[in-house]
Amino acid sequence: MRQLKIAVVMLLIGGLLTTAAFFLAFYTAEVQRFGTVTLSEEIDSAYPLVGVSNEGLQYERPWFSQKIFYFHVPVAEASFLVLILSAFFGVRFLTTRRKEYDTKSRIAMETALTFVALTMITGVLWTKASWGVWWDWEPRLTTYFIMMLLMVAYFVLRNSIEDEERRAVYAAAFAVIAAIDAPISFFITRLIPSQHPVVFKSGFATSNLLPFILAQVGMLMIGYAIYVMRMSEERMRERLEVAKEALED
Amino acid sequence: MARGAENRQGSRGASRGLSWRQYKAILRKDIVMELRTKEMVTSMGIYALLTMVVYQVALSQAGTAFDPRQIAAGLLWLAFIFTSMLGLNRSLVHEKDQGCLEALLLSPVDRPVIFFAKATGNLIFLGIVEILTVPVFSFLFLQQGSYEGQWWMIPVVLTAGSMGIAGVGTLLATMSVNTKGKDFVLAVLMVPLMYPLLLAAVSATTVAVLGGADAGSQFWQAMALIGVYDAIMLVACFGLYEFVIGA
Amino acid sequence: MEATNKELYDLVLKDAPYVIAAYGVLWVAFVGYVSLVLRRIMRLEKDVQAVQEAVERREG
Repeated sequence: MRQLKIAVVMLLIGGLLTTAAFFLAFYTAEVQRFGTVTLSEEIDSAYPLVGVSNEGLQYERPWFSQKIFYFHVPVAEASFLVLILSAFFGVRFLTTRRKEYDTKSRIAMETALTFVALTMITGVLWTKASWGVWWDWEPRLTTYFIMMLLMVAYFVLRNSIEDEERRAVYAAAFAVIAAIDAPISFFITRLIPSQHPVVFKSGFATSNLLPFILAQVGMLMIGYAIYVMRMSEERMRERLEVAKEALED
Repeated sequence: MARGAENRQGSRGASRGLSWRQYKAILRKDIVMELRTKEMVTSMGIYALLTMVVYQVALSQAGTAFDPRQIAAGLLWLAFIFTSMLGLNRSLVHEKDQGCLEALLLSPVDRPVIFFAKATGNLIFLGIVEILTVPVFSFLFLQQGSYEGQWWMIPVVLTAGSMGIAGVGTLLATMSVNTKGKDFVLAVLMVPLMYPLLLAAVSATTVAVLGGADAGSQFWQAMALIGVYDAIMLVACFGLYEFVIGA
Repeated sequence: MEATNKELYDLVLKDAPYVIAAYGVLWVAFVGYVSLVLRRIMRLEKDVQAVQEAVERREG
C-alpha cells in the first residue's frame, strides 16, 4: 500500500510536469521551420523570404506539427527504458527463478507496449502533418513499428504456453533478446541508406529544450507510476487468490 | 552438467576435446538423418521453388519497363527467411517428437554444444537450399539486364546472413516447438527479430547485383552491420539457450 | 495575430487538427488507463475486505 501511495504521488508530479511542458511547448517554445510556403503576394512576415519562383514568393514555413515532438519523443524514450527494465527483470528471473520477477517483467512489458502504441499513434499523426502521408518507412517510425511487433510477439509467446515455469523462462529469454534487438534495429534503420532522406532540422533553442526536458522527466514519472500501480494490483490479486483458496479448504 | 563433465575429464584441454567430439556427434546425427530421409532439404527446396511462382504472379503486371534486378535482393531474402522458418520448425519438431531432445538433455553433453551443433546443422541445410535457389532465381528472373556487381559479394553476404538466421532461429525454434501454435509462434517471434539483419542483407545483396560507383563502401558498411548483428545476437542466443532448453 | 501574417498562419493551422489529435490521444489514453487501473485496485481492495471478514467470521 505504501508503494501505491508513492505511485500516486509520482503520478501527480508527473502530471504537473507534463502539463507545464504542454503549456511551455505552445506558449514559449520557438516555432521551428520546415520547408517553404509559396504565397502570391509579399507579406510583412516574421518568417524570412527565401526565394522567388514562377508561382510566387517563397517564405519559410512555420512548422506547427513539430509541437507533437515535445511529447512524442519522451513517450518513445520512456517506452524504450521500460523495455530494458523488462529485460532486466527477465535476467533476474533467469538467475533467481523467483516468480515475482516474472510478474515484474510481464508488467513492465505491458507498460512498454502501451507507451509504444502511443508513440506509434503520435508518430503517424506527425508524419501526416509534416509530410502529408499517413505512413512512411522512415527510420524512427520503422524502429517503433518493429518494437511494437516484438512486444506483441512477447504476449503471443506467453499466451501459447500452458506450463507456468516454462512460460516464465521462455518469456524472460525472449524479453532479453528483444531488448538486445531493439537498439540494433534502431541503429541499422538509420545506417542503411534508403530512398527517403531523414528530414529533421536540428538545433534546439533553450525555449524548445525546457518543455522537452520537463515532458521527458514527467513522462518517466508517469511510466514508473503506471508500472508500480499495475504491480501492486497484480500482487493484490495474487494474495486474494491465495486467501480465497485457503477459505475454500 | 557442464561442470560435471569438466570435472570428470580432469583437465580443460581434454574437456574441450570432448566438447568437440560431442559437437561432431550431434551434427553427424542430424546430417545422417537428413541423408536418410532427405525431408528438410526437399521440403525447403520445393517451398523456395513455389515462392518463385508466387513472385512471377506478383510481377506479372509490372510490364517490361520494370527491372526486376531492383528488387531481386529483397525477393531472394524473402524466400530465404520463409524457407528457413519452415526448415527450423521441422528440424526441432523432429527432435521433440522422437524424444531426441530429452535424450540429449539426459546425456552429459554441454548445453552450449547442443546449441552450436543444432545451429550448424540448420546453417548447413539452409546453405544447401540457398545454393540451389540462387541459380534458379537468377535463371528465372534476371535474364534481361546485365549483372554489374562483383560475384564474390553474394556468397559472403549469404554466409553472414544465414549465420544470423540459423543462430537466432535455433533458439526461437527450440522455444516455439513447445508452444501451442508451433510454426505460427516461430514466425511471430522471428520476423521482427530478423528485421535489422534482413535490412542490412538486402542492402548488401542489392549492391552485389547492381554494382555502382560506391558499391564497395556500401557493401562493407552493410556487411559490418550484419557482422555486429551476428556477433551480438549469437552471443545472446548462446547464453540464453541453456535456460530455454532446460525449461 | 498580425493581419499581415494571416496567410502563413492559415497554412500553419492546417496542421492543427493533427497536433490536437496527438495530444488528445495521449491525454485520453493516460487518464483512461490510470483510472481503469485505480478502479480495479479499489474493487480488489473491497474483495480483500470481504475475504477478511469471511475469515474472521469463521474463526469467531
